[in-house]
Amino acid sequence: MLESRRTGDRLCVHLSGEIDHCVAASLRGEIESLLRDPTVKSLWLDFSDVTFMDSSGVGMIIGRYKTMKARGGSVHACGLHPPVDRLFHLAGLHRIIAIAGGDTEHE
Amino acid sequence: MNNRMELRFDALAENEAFSRMVISAFLVQVNPTMSVVSEVRTAVSEAVTNAIVHGYAGTTGTVVLRAQIESDQAVIEVEDYGCGIADVQKAMQPFYTSHPEQERTGIGFSLMQSFMDGVSVTSSPGSGTLVRMTKRLEA
Repeated sequence: MLESRRTGDRLCVHLSGEIDHCVAASLRGEIESLLRDPTVKSLWLDFSDVTFMDSSGVGMIIGRYKTMKARGGSVHACGLHPPVDRLFHLAGLHRIIAIAGGDTEHE
Repeated sequence: MNNRMELRFDALAENEAFSRMVISAFLVQVNPTMSVVSEVRTAVSEAVTNAIVHGYAGTTGTVVLRAQIESDQAVIEVEDYGCGIADVQKAMQPFYTSHPEQERTGIGFSLMQSFMDGVSVTSSPGSGTLVRMTKRLEA
């Protein structure tokens, strides 16, 4: 399950659990449906409760980056635990996604 | 200690999490570091996902996960009996994917190579793919 919060043109999505191929497919659908609202200009993904992620999660993030880039928006990530942070770097996600420390509550 | 196990399961996406749980539980007996467990879990997840997404591509089939602990290393195999890979070298190139429309990144094999000490892939079109990975277990 996914929790989201809207503040102005920012949409914060709180992800949790394990993001693999099985889970990424449903996350893709849920986040895309939230992004149907064209006034969302920045997407924040909070990974603080994500306990595992593999390349399927990376694909899901790149997909949402493409959605946001197409409307001139941006994607931000926060709350990355070391294994997820390492995956971000290995996959080159840090070059397209702004990574913040802490969680969105403190940004 | 030496030990081995073999697990056979249906090629269902729901079994990706199951295969990760099994490999973690199997390795716990040699008291590995958190980072070794995390790396092996990711590599197994990538190999099992490949078997389900590419090997069987939505059709039914069996995936086999084997693990063996031999003194200071773990040898892990993920095998499917699906469509196989015609050009293994091409499939292993970073960012190459046969399914870009499904948001596949093409970095699965690269991650297996980053996280494991050895990765070898044997495949023959029409009969399946065997991924064999080794990981040193620090004392």
